[in-house]
Amino acid sequence: MSAAVALQTVPKIEVKHLTVNYAEKNRMFTALRDVNFTVEEGEFVSVIGASGCGKSTLLSVLEGLYKQADGEITISGKPLDGTGKERGVVFQHYSLFPWMTTRKNIAFGIAQVRKDLTKKQRLELADTFLEKVGLGEFGNKYPSQLSGGMQQRAAIARALAMDTEILLMDEPFSAIDAKNRIVLQELLLKLWEGDGKEPRKSVVFVTHDIDEAILLSDKIVVLTAHPGTVAEIIPVPFARPRDRKTLVQTPEYAEFRSHLLHLFYNDIAERIGGEEVVL
Amino acid sequence: MATATITASSAPAAPKVKAPAIPLAQRFLRVTHLLFLVLLGVQFIPDHASVTEAHTSWLIGFAVIVEAFTLAITPLFKKKEGLNLFLDIIGFIYGFLILWTIFTAKTALLPAALFPPFGKILAQTAEDAPKILINIKSSVGIILQGFILALLAAVPLGLILGWNARLGGAATYLSKFFSSIPPIVYIPYGIALLPTFRSVSVFVIFLASFWPVFAGTMSGVLHVDSKILDSAKVLNVSKPTMLLNVILPASLNQIFLGCNQGLSVSFILLTSAEMIGARDGMGYYVKYYSDFGDYTRTIVGLLVIGIVVIGVTFLVNRLQNYLLRWKK
Repeated sequence: MSAAVALQTVPKIEVKHLTVNYAEKNRMFTALRDVNFTVEEGEFVSVIGASGCGKSTLLSVLEGLYKQADGEITISGKPLDGTGKERGVVFQHYSLFPWMTTRKNIAFGIAQVRKDLTKKQRLELADTFLEKVGLGEFGNKYPSQLSGGMQQRAAIARALAMDTEILLMDEPFSAIDAKNRIVLQELLLKLWEGDGKEPRKSVVFVTHDIDEAILLSDKIVVLTAHPGTVAEIIPVPFARPRDRKTLVQTPEYAEFRSHLLHLFYNDIAERIGGEEVVL
Repeated sequence: MATATITASSAPAAPKVKAPAIPLAQRFLRVTHLLFLVLLGVQFIPDHASVTEAHTSWLIGFAVIVEAFTLAITPLFKKKEGLNLFLDIIGFIYGFLILWTIFTAKTALLPAALFPPFGKILAQTAEDAPKILINIKSSVGIILQGFILALLAAVPLGLILGWNARLGGAATYLSKFFSSIPPIVYIPYGIALLPTFRSVSVFVIFLASFWPVFAGTMSGVLHVDSKILDSAKVLNVSKPTMLLNVILPASLNQIFLGCNQGLSVSFILLTSAEMIGARDGMGYYVKYYSDFGDYTRTIVGLLVIGIVVIGVTFLVNRLQNYLLRWKK
């Protein structure tokens, strides 16, 4: 095998035999068991599953915040070691620092990766990204003065402004009302798809919203709970750029969605038969 | 034509939501102003025969200035509750002055040596103003010096020890022990250690402020939301950035709690110490003149101390509100 081929086959993120055990009140609790999947360069991968399936644990392992994990994780072929400048993160809450204005939050993020820029240049760059997420007029507001949706826009702007190769998003739209969630999904889709001139970022996106996962992803990793294991890894067959309205009307979409729902409900049905009921 | 008018008026610019304006009568026709007139009227009653130094003109002048100030800032209030509170406070002052005047200058029901007419207190304040200013400068200077030294030591130390879980645990217990010692008992030891009254005072105020500020900083650091810390960690911030740009602002509220506590203890301590062994300061002023039975000046001293403490507290609160303006 030639070197060039070998290089091409190195995935952006590779998770092999990932197992996470928590010790809780003298009892061992397995959050994730033998999870395997890859994220290729420029691939958008969603991780879905019901609450308690360990999807957020999986993301904190990838973020480098949770370190007591067994298994092997590589980023561009190198073993993962703590947090890293090649990964940008958007949390469900409190990605932003409440004591900094929106533009200072973004400029602060930029400052951590671009030491070459002056303060003025960082603030200018922050302003261009605020424009991109539709917050041009809100640069001087504090996070507490913004709605939840606007805070998530700003958090996305910061992650994008830092221009990391990888984006990790932990249920970023779960706390947003249904109408604004759709707006934010489309904004993210547009920003991630870009104009085709720049390489797309590799994304790991955690959600419990099936439609959100289908609209955004190239590939969906379905987790089942207790312990969290991969039930199936499904490539999303729909072409890009995607349009929500036309996409949801196709019979293929309905069929694909019902397959995912089936995986979900199977999981819940098994748990009803078992000792725990989560609905 | 008519349709056009309707269309135009049916799409107005978004109306601005404004609090309903307070009617003029509700602004200016208030019991407080009646009390002002009563206070003036009371002054026309002839003084009691035994009263020699009523200095009524000082009292009238004071009341007129307070009333002019009240009327001048009344239009600036936007909310009814704020105006009510302000006018009630002024009303209490007028009521107090009316009773004070009647029981002292007008009837001499209260012994004149212990309860001088309010005009006399004002006249004495004016006469002693240069002396009082020197004393305020001395007291406030000592407090600022001790307090700022305490801040400079306690905040960085609290941040570093609070951030270091293991040292922080030990430091919490030690600070509980040291802060439980009433700082006033350090005075005799301070006198043995240090050469001047001023240096002893600064030392004691440093100790008195250090522990509450240190404890406040530590507790602030220990209670920073873990989500905020995670957010900083995934940005890969350096250790100094973490402490200065994340932990410090996140702990600021608790630090200010410690500061307010430290300041109020400092004032109690300093005025007590000044009454024991000083040649300057507001505590010294009060003690010195009460030893001579000059209770006019004693009351002047008490009132001035009250005003200084309120003034310093006000400034600290303004600073606190400014630095924490990002809070809801």
